[in-house]
Amino acid sequence: MKIVVTVKLVPDPNAEKRIDPATKRLVRTGVETVLNPYDEYALEAALQLKERIGGDTTVTVFSMAPESLKETLRKALAMGADDAVLLSDAGLEGSDVWGTSYAMAHALKKVGFDLLLVGGLSDDGSTGATPGAIAEYLQMPLVTNARKAEIKDGALHIERETDTGYQLVKAPLPSVMTTALTFGEPRYASLKGIMGAKKKTIAAMSLGDLGLELPVGSAGAKTELLAFAPPAARGKGIVVEAADGATGAKAIFDFLKEKKLV
Amino acid sequence: MQNVIVYVQHKNGATPKVTFEMATLARKLADQLGGKAHALVVGAGSSQLADTLKTYPLDVVHVNDDAHVDGFLLDPVIDYLDAAARAIGSSLVLVANTLGGKDVAGRLVARLGAGVVADATDFKIEGGKVEAVMPKMGGAAITTAAFKAGDYGVATIRPNAFAAQAGGAGATVQPIEKPAGKSYAVVVEKDVEEGTGELALEEAPVVVAGGRGLGGPDPFENMLKPLAAELGGAVGASRAAADAGWVPYSLQIGQTGKTVSPSLYIAVGISGAIQHKVGMRSSGTIVSINKDAAAPIAEFSDLTVVGDAFAIVPELTKLVAASKA
Ligand SMILES: Cc1cc2nc3c(=O)[nH]c(=O)nc-3n(C[C@H](O)[C@H](O)[C@H](O)COP(=O)(O)OP(=O)(O)OC[C@H]3O[C@@H](n4cnc5c(N)ncnc54)[C@H](O)[C@@H]3O)c2cc1C
Ligand SMILES: Cc1cc2nc3c(=O)[nH]c(=O)nc-3n(C[C@H](O)[C@H](O)[C@H](O)COP(=O)(O)OP(=O)(O)OC[C@H]3O[C@@H](n4cnc5c(N)ncnc54)[C@H](O)[C@@H]3O)c2cc1C
Repeated sequence: MKIVVTVKLVPDPNAEKRIDPATKRLVRTGVETVLNPYDEYALEAALQLKERIGGDTTVTVFSMAPESLKETLRKALAMGADDAVLLSDAGLEGSDVWGTSYAMAHALKKVGFDLLLVGGLSDDGSTGATPGAIAEYLQMPLVTNARKAEIKDGALHIERETDTGYQLVKAPLPSVMTTALTFGEPRYASLKGIMGAKKKTIAAMSLGDLGLELPVGSAGAKTELLAFAPPAARGKGIVVEAADGATGAKAIFDFLKEKKLV
Repeated sequence: MQNVIVYVQHKNGATPKVTFEMATLARKLADQLGGKAHALVVGAGSSQLADTLKTYPLDVVHVNDDAHVDGFLLDPVIDYLDAAARAIGSSLVLVANTLGGKDVAGRLVARLGAGVVADATDFKIEGGKVEAVMPKMGGAAITTAAFKAGDYGVATIRPNAFAAQAGGAGATVQPIEKPAGKSYAVVVEKDVEEGTGELALEEAPVVVAGGRGLGGPDPFENMLKPLAAELGGAVGASRAAADAGWVPYSLQIGQTGKTVSPSLYIAVGISGAIQHKVGMRSSGTIVSINKDAAAPIAEFSDLTVVGDAFAIVPELTKLVAASKA
């Protein structure tokens, strides 16, 4: 069985984000590019499924990103993915969700898979719309927020989180699945994994390989970014050291009273 | 884009408040675009919900109580929305930015060949063009994006960002035909609701949220719940607390949980990680109780009390109770 996991490369979520008021862009200096955290969870799920299914199951990581970020994908290989595919092309720059999903779906069809795992949300664009759009372009079922998955009798049996609780669902293969963070904490790369990753393949794909009918990149985008600005600052808050419970409680109560919240 | 279509996410007729916020917003946008405001509600309990929806300023509410919608995951809804959008013509589809809403939005992007703006908190119409304002990266950036020319657009709407206001002439409730010749692959075998019967987190005017600092499930039940009850609010949690199994995930606030913006948010034993902040940053007043003065939550709290939650919270509950007596 072939499992493919999509991984977006994003600015480090824990880095202090600053917007340059002059260029209206994110200040990238000193901000590392990392695997989108959500996608590490999806990769963990793929690796767990591979371990459980065994046999000749493989895990391929797929990313659409500038060629210059290629080496960032080694971390996914070090965690245990067998190989990677990187879709890069100057013509993809400025793609929105529509263009990204359209191009990725075509590329993923070329890569081929029995199960496609997509992260639930990117840390930068954070639309969460990519998984659904990819599934639709692939004409495949989509099952999101899986916290448990099992493959039995050629079908996927999934326990998934919903807005109001959880569901048990059954889907055919191939399908597109996103995982909830509860599927399992991403593993650390072992030293052996890190060494082994150096020899694994990162195959290159470009727009020429896809034969797309519609234009992508900024030219084909259905949306355009008009402004990117820092938020209005919140006034500096008050800090009170509470010697005991009663003092702390009174400080809060008086504050709420002043704000007419009690 | 001319018309506006609200996709109503619900279960047996129960829907979150954001549905009514979108119904109200739809009117405003449709008027500015010179089109009509529609809503689509399908699945068991829809007719009953349509009775409430028609009291909001919509033009048409499209309804079908089709049980297929509940028996299969996602796809039937997409077929209905697709059919409605094609029948109505050029339109902006509004979907709540919830777990379920994101899936709907994604599939529609490809089905309609539409652009998407996500987690919108404000809209502007400039020369017939729809522009959306969206906080990104944990609130570190506010982006504004516009739809380029095109018949369809999809917008996911942040809960609690827009006002809900009933009114208008009363919408027409109209049955929508079940899309013909479809078969669906993903079967819902079991559907379980958790934490129902309590004030929905997203709708509560006050949220008292607890984190890992509370050390177990009991303080949520015996300490936070009484305070929330006195303040007329609901209990929420950080991911760490949900991961530990102290509360159900439906109470989790943050990037991968609920987005709330109550008038008052009290964070108890929560450090204020960026993924938590994303879900509560737009609250009116933020108060935090933390024993560590250096916890990041202090950076975006209006009041931080440095001290032991176990000593402070019960005292605070008493003070609030006494003030009402
Ligand atoms: C600040 C900011 C705001 C943006 N706002 C918008 C907007 O409003 N509308 C719009 O159409 N576009 C927007 N974009 C562009 C959009 O982020 C990209 O097109 C993106 O690749 C897909 O959307 P997403 O980041 O929202 O991913 P999501 O839909 O949140 O990601 C879900 C999953 O899809 C997969 N995935 C997404 N992109 C890739 C990739 N390049 N390679 C591999 N896997 C991937 C990952 O597994 C990820 O976990 C924005 C980008 C930024 C940085
Ligand atoms: C992809 C991804 C998505 C995530 N999504 C979310 C999300 O949606 N929501 C979310 O919340 N997190 C999310 N997280 C996790 C997030 O990064 C933090 O790990 C989490 O928010 C920490 O929870 P906490 O503040 O309860 O715990 P901690 O960070 O452990 O903080 C506990 C706090 O309690 C204080 N404390 C301890 N004892 C007491 C006491 N007696 N009295 C007062 N204070 C006390 C401590 O000083 C400390 O500040 C996500 C992480 C990832 C990687």
